[in-house]
Amino acid sequence: MSMHILGIRHHGPGSARHVLEALNAIKPDIILIEGPPEGEQMLQWAIHEDMKPPVALLAYVPDDPQHAVFYPFSIFSPEWQAIRYGLENKKPLRFIDMPLIHKLAEKPAAIEGELPPNLNSAELIEEHHQLQKIFKNPLSYLADIAGFEDEEEWWEHQFELSQHPVEVFTAVEEAMTSLRESLPQKNDLTEQIREAFMRRGIRTAEREMYTEIVVICGAWHVPALRSMPKQKEDDLLLKNLPKTKVETTWIPWTSDRLSFESGYGAGVDSPGYYKHVWENPEDDGTRWLAHAANVFRNHKVDISSAHIIEAVRLANALTAIRGLSRAGLKELNEATQTVMCMGDTVPMHLVRKELIVGNEQGEVPEGAPQVPIQRDLEQQVKTMRLKLSNDEKIVSLDLREPAGLQKSILFHRLQVLDVEWAKQQFTSGKGTFKEEWRLKWSPELTINLLEKAPWGNTVEAACTHYLQHKASSCNLLSEITELAKKSLPADLHEGIEAVMKRMDELAAGTTDTSMLMDAFKPLVQVSRYGNVRQTDQETVSVILRSIFYRMIAGLPISTSGIDEEAAAEIAEKIKSVNNSIIFLDEDELKSSWIEALLKTIAIKQVAPLVHGACCKILYDAKHMDASQTGIEFSKALSTGNDPSHSAAWLEGFLKDAATILILEDDIWNITNQWIEGLTPETFVQVVPLLRRTFSAYNSAEKSRLAQKVKHNSSGTSAAKQNYAINKERAKRVLPLLEKILGI
Amino acid sequence: MTQKILRQSAEQQFALEIEELKKQDKHTKPANWQLSPNAVVNYLMGGKLNNGFEISAKYIGNRRLMEIAVATLATDRALLLYGLPGTAKSWVSEHLAAAITGDSNLVIQGTAGISEESVRYGWNYAMLLSAGPVAEAVVETPVMRAMKEGKIVRIEELTRIGSDVQDSLITILSEKMLPIPELNQQVQAIGGFNVIATANNRDKGVNDLSSALKRRFNTVILPVPTSVDEEVEIVQQRVTSFSKVIELPIQKSITEEIGRIVTIFRELRNGVSSDGKTKLKSPTGTLSTAEAISVMNNGLALAYHFGDGSIKADDIASGVIGAIVKDPVQDKIVMQEYMETVLKQRDGWKDIYRACRDII
Repeated sequence: MSMHILGIRHHGPGSARHVLEALNAIKPDIILIEGPPEGEQMLQWAIHEDMKPPVALLAYVPDDPQHAVFYPFSIFSPEWQAIRYGLENKKPLRFIDMPLIHKLAEKPAAIEGELPPNLNSAELIEEHHQLQKIFKNPLSYLADIAGFEDEEEWWEHQFELSQHPVEVFTAVEEAMTSLRESLPQKNDLTEQIREAFMRRGIRTAEREMYTEIVVICGAWHVPALRSMPKQKEDDLLLKNLPKTKVETTWIPWTSDRLSFESGYGAGVDSPGYYKHVWENPEDDGTRWLAHAANVFRNHKVDISSAHIIEAVRLANALTAIRGLSRAGLKELNEATQTVMCMGDTVPMHLVRKELIVGNEQGEVPEGAPQVPIQRDLEQQVKTMRLKLSNDEKIVSLDLREPAGLQKSILFHRLQVLDVEWAKQQFTSGKGTFKEEWRLKWSPELTINLLEKAPWGNTVEAACTHYLQHKASSCNLLSEITELAKKSLPADLHEGIEAVMKRMDELAAGTTDTSMLMDAFKPLVQVSRYGNVRQTDQETVSVILRSIFYRMIAGLPISTSGIDEEAAAEIAEKIKSVNNSIIFLDEDELKSSWIEALLKTIAIKQVAPLVHGACCKILYDAKHMDASQTGIEFSKALSTGNDPSHSAAWLEGFLKDAATILILEDDIWNITNQWIEGLTPETFVQVVPLLRRTFSAYNSAEKSRLAQKVKHNSSGTSAAKQNYAINKERAKRVLPLLEKILGI
Repeated sequence: MTQKILRQSAEQQFALEIEELKKQDKHTKPANWQLSPNAVVNYLMGGKLNNGFEISAKYIGNRRLMEIAVATLATDRALLLYGLPGTAKSWVSEHLAAAITGDSNLVIQGTAGISEESVRYGWNYAMLLSAGPVAEAVVETPVMRAMKEGKIVRIEELTRIGSDVQDSLITILSEKMLPIPELNQQVQAIGGFNVIATANNRDKGVNDLSSALKRRFNTVILPVPTSVDEEVEIVQQRVTSFSKVIELPIQKSITEEIGRIVTIFRELRNGVSSDGKTKLKSPTGTLSTAEAISVMNNGLALAYHFGDGSIKADDIASGVIGAIVKDPVQDKIVMQEYMETVLKQRDGWKDIYRACRDII
């Protein structure tokens, strides 16, 4: 009986090749791999023909999907190759790492290998870096000794690029053993437990009388698995570990995500390069540099074959100077930068993005076990002929067509679920039936989706329940308004009912008219587009009314005794509510609205700006004729008022309303007289206020106003000019006219 | 009596180091190189030889850059050193030439007025008239000599040379030969010939390289020093060697003053104070390491000749301000802001603040 421990580097193409060679040489009867035992049942999918790495084994706690671990595999992962070898040769495969039922039961935040919590704040990142510095990678000690800049590079040249087969593993083991002996113990309990589990896996295999055992694990663990302590010690370590429920599934992964740290706590910086090395083990850099040249050419940078030749020569010269056996990524990059980019680092980002990292996206076969909600989503996506792809895609929808509407509803539902696959874009086209969405899937969205799995087994059910939950936890009208805006187009009958109910409750409790005004607008939109959206009209209509009446009740009071800033805000909101009401076109609401406005302007302390704005609306609605308006004007502009008061009023009325000034001579005259009557001092005082009003006019309006000023500076109006008509003489023409017209 | 030479060329100054390196050098050498590429990198970066001999560092910075530069020359490609003024481009090119061929004196200083005759070859007109076009009437340029002897020719400020003259380098670089049509002859370069050009990317009104010429160069951009410590080390080393030449006794505590100058320069260059808290405007000048060196030299001279010999804030203030305030209006505002927001607040920097305020 013999046991072979192959120490590898996760995602090392060289390791993968060595492992494959070793397996072919050893012909084991069982393969033990460092990986979560829960994943074993999922392994059968690895040789499915539709399985395209990079993919990741996702393990999550069903009650708390955010609490999850990824184990990404790429084509060049040694584990992946070992799994495929095992499956193809029908050898038993086992994952012998610490079971996730224990690992995920531990304190959530501190687990090594968990998806890095969003390192958003600078502080966290800082902390992260410091920690890394303290526990610097043990390999870096060896890299230092060998004179390499970092351990990645050292490993690459020492083990990945070297072409010697099986002896490599002996060398790795020796290196790691001496490292572990001479370095202070980290005293990481999790790690000790993990290694104890691995040893237990090996013992089990031995007990089952397997004769050729191959263990594939991270290089660091090799010495710990070689020297077996007493079984009792390990058992003691593994006693009474906490437990939780764990489910596993395959999810597609992307090459840029491979470069993150994940399940193994080891990410790769250059998945694209490693894939290249895996596929072209004999490449001396020529092929790679030709690819790089192509990347530049695709971005309209002229690179000739001569450039490639020179770059290859430089890379080889650098390799020789540095005493390496083969050009590594650093040499190739330096050659590219020096020869092709004029020494500049900026174009190198292109190479990094497209080549070194790459933009590969994995695929998972259809039948692979998935969480119900995930399957539901994929099914819907498929019937809609869309794809959950990493590439960005713009989709424009016509909501009048069932297919367009269906897609829009799905996108909106996902938004409610915080799965931001589709982001709505601003559309320039007129009409409310057109929507434009930008689609971009990323693996972490799967997590967001899984997190919502407890809410339901389909997107619709989950969305409805989640919405109900969210609605009930809203405590402010503005919050629920936002939620309503988001959820109304998602076509969720029960969910929207809950939102509306909550909205009504909150509206009752609020005294803030401006919040009610905000809430009003989206409701009007829904009510208006009800036909397009087929949302439940009844409910909306009821809530709409209740909010409307609450709003107009509070309107007069909320507009008096407020400062300029608040007045400007309210005036804007009044205008927008007015637009909504015109839009809604319901007589009952209209007349109540006018009534409320009349009430408002009747109050003395109403802010002048609001007063002016209300007058304007009433004038537009033909509830005030020219003469009434004139009276309001002269009232507002009378000398008794403070000039700034008058100016604010003018702003309220005349903002965006140049036509009134141009066409209504009465109003023109009143304004004109008021301005002429100002003393130089007060004029200077109100000029900025007036400018705020008039500067918003467009140039055509301005020039017409200027002409009007020029021609009628006296104040007499052109329309009132009397033409002297001799009625007697005019009458004489009439008979002839009648004859001509045949009357 | 022999006159003292103001500045020795690199191969004279470091003759001993080159000699020692030669003795220790076991790697293969390209044709006509006196050292192997590895030894050249060691010469530039400094270090200890196996026999304990100490090689001083000529370039303080990223070793990889020097490796790229040497590898370029080893592959017969011309090298273009590119970067801001004062990032040691000429310095590196001189030492490369000295280490590789032992001769750093084949130089063409690029200017706008340079003609093709100074790049390719000229004629001795008296002889041309008397004897006609004969080989003896040809006046060799450094380029031609380098080709014949298999040496390295340095072209300083390549981008200042007019484009038409620049392009006369193309044949020389790609075909390694220089035709003399008048004689129906050509000079063919022998092994070891190469070109090191320098150019800076800050100056305006320079002639961009044609893409044909660009393609014949490998470009290495020399960056400004990445850390304060690195820059202080550079300044200190150069100041020490300078004061030896002009026989200024060096003070013990110049490191501190160098640190202050370098800090001021770096803060203004990066537009942010070293603690990262205060945002600053950047002046129009580049404030290179070379300028920091000359400010320090200037300060040392002032202290020695007009002061008590120990360098004080007053001695460096005028140099600092002279380096920063290149534009009398804008840069002055920059400097004043910097003085009030950073210098004044900093503990122990009061003297330099006062000295600067007296001048500005």
